[in-house]
Amino acid sequence: MKWANTIRAAVATLAFATGLGATTAQAAKLGYPEKEELTFGFIKLTDMAPIAIAYEKGFFEDEGLYVTIEAQANWKVLLDGVIDGRLDGAHMLAGQPIAATMGFGTQADIITPFSMDLNGNGITVSNEIWSQMKPNIARREDGLPEHPIKADALKPVVEKYRAAGKPFNMGMVFPVSTHNYELRYWLAAGGIHPGYYAPHKGDISGQIDAEALLSVTPPPQMPATLEAGTIYGYCVGEPWNQQAVFKDIGVPVVTDYEIWKNNPEKVFGITKGFAEKYPNTTVRITRALIRAAMWLDDNNNANRPEAVKILSQSHYVGADYDVIANSMTGTFEYEKGDKRAVPDFNVFFRYNATYPYYSDAIWYMTQMRRWGQIPEDRSDDWYKELAAKVYRPDIYEAAARSLIEEGLASADQFPDFATEDGFRDPQTHFIDGIVYNGHQPNAYIDKFPIGLKSGEKL
Amino acid sequence: MSTITMTPGRLLRWKPQVDGRGLLTTTVKLVALPAAGILVFLLLWSAGARNIDTSLGQFPGPLAVGEQFGALYTEHQRSREKEVAFYERQRERNARRVAEDPGYEPKIRDYTGKETFIDQIGTSLVTVMSGFLLAAMIAIPLGIAIGLSPGLNAACNPIIQVFKPVSPLAWLPLVTMVVSALYATPDPVIAKSFINSMITVTLCCLWPMVINTAVGVASIDRDLVNVSRVLRLPPLQHVRRIVLPASVPMIFTGMRLSLGVAWMVLIAAEMLAQNPGLGKFVWDEFQNGSSDSLARIMAAVIVIGFIGFLLDRSMLQLQRFFSWDKGTATH
Amino acid sequence: MSVLLDISQVGMEFPTNDGPFTALRDVNLKIRKGEFVSLIGHSGCGKSTVLNIVAGLHRATSGGVILDGREVTDPGPERAVVFQNHSLLPWLTAYENVELAVRQVFGKTRGKAEQREWIEHNLKLVHMEHAMQKRPGEISGGMKQRVGIARALAMQPKVLLMDEPFGALDALTRAHMQDSLMEIQAELNNTVIMITHDVDEAVLLSDRIVMMTNGPAATIGEVLEVDLERPRHRLELAGDPRYNRLRARVLKFLHERHGGSPRNDSTSKTSTTRAAADEPAVHEAEGVESAA
Repeated sequence: MKWANTIRAAVATLAFATGLGATTAQAAKLGYPEKEELTFGFIKLTDMAPIAIAYEKGFFEDEGLYVTIEAQANWKVLLDGVIDGRLDGAHMLAGQPIAATMGFGTQADIITPFSMDLNGNGITVSNEIWSQMKPNIARREDGLPEHPIKADALKPVVEKYRAAGKPFNMGMVFPVSTHNYELRYWLAAGGIHPGYYAPHKGDISGQIDAEALLSVTPPPQMPATLEAGTIYGYCVGEPWNQQAVFKDIGVPVVTDYEIWKNNPEKVFGITKGFAEKYPNTTVRITRALIRAAMWLDDNNNANRPEAVKILSQSHYVGADYDVIANSMTGTFEYEKGDKRAVPDFNVFFRYNATYPYYSDAIWYMTQMRRWGQIPEDRSDDWYKELAAKVYRPDIYEAAARSLIEEGLASADQFPDFATEDGFRDPQTHFIDGIVYNGHQPNAYIDKFPIGLKSGEKL
Repeated sequence: MSTITMTPGRLLRWKPQVDGRGLLTTTVKLVALPAAGILVFLLLWSAGARNIDTSLGQFPGPLAVGEQFGALYTEHQRSREKEVAFYERQRERNARRVAEDPGYEPKIRDYTGKETFIDQIGTSLVTVMSGFLLAAMIAIPLGIAIGLSPGLNAACNPIIQVFKPVSPLAWLPLVTMVVSALYATPDPVIAKSFINSMITVTLCCLWPMVINTAVGVASIDRDLVNVSRVLRLPPLQHVRRIVLPASVPMIFTGMRLSLGVAWMVLIAAEMLAQNPGLGKFVWDEFQNGSSDSLARIMAAVIVIGFIGFLLDRSMLQLQRFFSWDKGTATH
Repeated sequence: MSVLLDISQVGMEFPTNDGPFTALRDVNLKIRKGEFVSLIGHSGCGKSTVLNIVAGLHRATSGGVILDGREVTDPGPERAVVFQNHSLLPWLTAYENVELAVRQVFGKTRGKAEQREWIEHNLKLVHMEHAMQKRPGEISGGMKQRVGIARALAMQPKVLLMDEPFGALDALTRAHMQDSLMEIQAELNNTVIMITHDVDEAVLLSDRIVMMTNGPAATIGEVLEVDLERPRHRLELAGDPRYNRLRARVLKFLHERHGGSPRNDSTSKTSTTRAAADEPAVHEAEGVESAA
């Protein structure tokens, strides 16, 4: 297969450049970093934790890397920073490297050797919407709402607003963000059309045929925008859902864990040029991030309170300790007082969370195709080739192997590199019960009642 | 400026009066009234704050803000300690590396920790002064040329009139893109963000300085120009000996005006472009949405105001120092 | 004595929205070396324009000025000007103001010490040696004007041009200044053109008084020879009938011109001729030529 050749070529290039026999068990000693002073960007979200931990715990310094960490205003600024070299790397939305490589939005070759976490997002609606949704939600014996809450409960509300001529506005953080796709997935699963994109016609608003109108708001501004009444709900990462509960301005109705159990979330993005120019540095960054992720999930989340303390510092996430702790320490507060255990709300290392699976990349591409961001039909191979260009398990493997060799990690903490093909087994835990098989993206798209199917074009 | 301003300058000019009653009145005016004003303000503030509930909690009163000043200073000190440790670790690491890899030339890298509030104040001040000086270097010669030449004045006037009312913030995106395109060194000595902020400040300072300088030059007493003509001063001498000194009061008025605006614009630009400085501090705190955020923002607001005031006063002192016409250098 | 300065057929037109405005026409005047000439006339009669043309600050639209055999085209230190409002550079001290002129004129020909001596000498001449380090803002109007004169004298001009030098001063100071000026004039014997409003000043200081008709199209109406011997003393002259006659002559001219300001050229011409015929001591404007 063509895409497999691409991977092999990439691995060979990297192995040559680093002097690493990445495909063999015997790896040569990892060289010193070519670039030691680095600047990484992040958005104020709890899932930037691996970067903060790698810094604070000295994992970067252990690799001989001197890293400056800078908060960015929004995802666009962050991506531009990585592209123009102001930033060497950044905490990115999984869709960003893919969309950039594909040329949706800004064209640039961005790759990712490291997936930063699983889950961690939620959908919050304003108190006003919540009170209208509530009658449509089944109750448990203790009177609390039955979870997961599907968008079916929201549909009558949206219809009422539409009948009254009021546009039903919702916020997400970026056109190619996980949050956009998750919010769309959830809405569409409940029969609410979130609208199409038509970039070939110059329409990148994503509101064609929409019943709910989605627009971009930077994460930290979500609660304020909701409070102002500009949007009725939003999908965002933590702590901005819990913040709404604390401020008493909205109610999280569903977490992404419930929409798709253990869905891949942020990635660590760098330019392809950076990885080629500084191969040792790239592997070393990946090593530091893997160690940080391990630390975050160690001993059944035992380090999480310390992590929360670090994140609550004003130059990282900066929200109050309690707000961040709410989700980071294995619970999630829905309606005020309705605090439930969600031990896997933030997963940083377990379940091979950090391994950059091709199938994860392809899932994002299927959603891009479903909503028209990829306007035309593409072959299954096209999906796989693009995924192989962007997701780089070869670098991850080199980093993981060297960690194993140095005794900083054990082999059983990682996928079996000898047999791993980069595709997760078909995944079943979606809110609408549709099964995802990364090998067949086109067949997968055809399963959705709402969304473009293969052969369709706006 | 209003009469309420209490200036160090006035205190210095204060002369003890022999008449006891006069002394008392002066003391009341200079010390007691401003103190009373500040006290009333603090009372109103704390009373008002107690009645404003935001989604981030109660609006901070003077006490909460005072506490945050303390916290910000403690953070600064802690950061300095971390910095010392950082350099220590780096030295050790370098020594180890040299032992393993004798070809390695150890290099001490700058501390990678975050700027503290106090660092941000420094950054903003350096930025505003650099932008301001750059603007002065462009604006004063340009203003002199325009003031001297009616032809050049006619040519430049429409451009100046159109660009003058543009908020420099509107330039910011263009500046950012142009700087990115033109300043593309792999390892820049000066940060791009600094250059962006600086150029924005420069753009903002430029127009008031050009206009004031040009007006100052154009409105030089005809007789002084005639003196120069009778003496047959060569053009450069004419500028240096007559034009420049004659327009110093107007030039300084323009400089003071633009520095005031520049300081305001810089804070906004830092907020907008996320460039290091006090503006970014305010924005970051706003984004954090922690329960201390508002008090910290308020602390920044006070510092911003105070620095703006000090900048204005320093310009005034400079103007007094350089200007022959003491009459124009009032507040 | 030879003619140093020759003003011939000078006319001046200013462009206005309603077409050209003739300010001066047919101004002819020859001045001998060492002569002190006053220009007197009502405000707006173009006295200052004449002075500025001689200074080279304005260019005549017709005719021209020849100084010492060379046509005047631009300003220069050989025609130093004392301006009405002193025109000292306010940021320089009295010494520095004079220094600026001395350095410009003698910078290449005289040494530093010589220059300093010359500056001090000129300031002493106007009795300003005690305030050399004072700035214009710190001294009185009369003192400023003294410094202005010192600056002009320091240039060693061929012609010293004074534009109402004492006009802004109070009567007492003015009298002092006039006496000083006469003293200096006795010593240096400069060629001077002075504009004045003041009839007494004109008679007291001048060798000749040039009376100008009112504008527009102003020109020289009469020229009055002041044949009072020098040194002159204001108190003694006050009782001198010659002085009073000269004074009356000037006043009469000014009064006549003021009363029926003639608008057209022909009346102006006739009145000039008539005035000339009346009084033998007064030459008609053109008549100066024969006197020279």
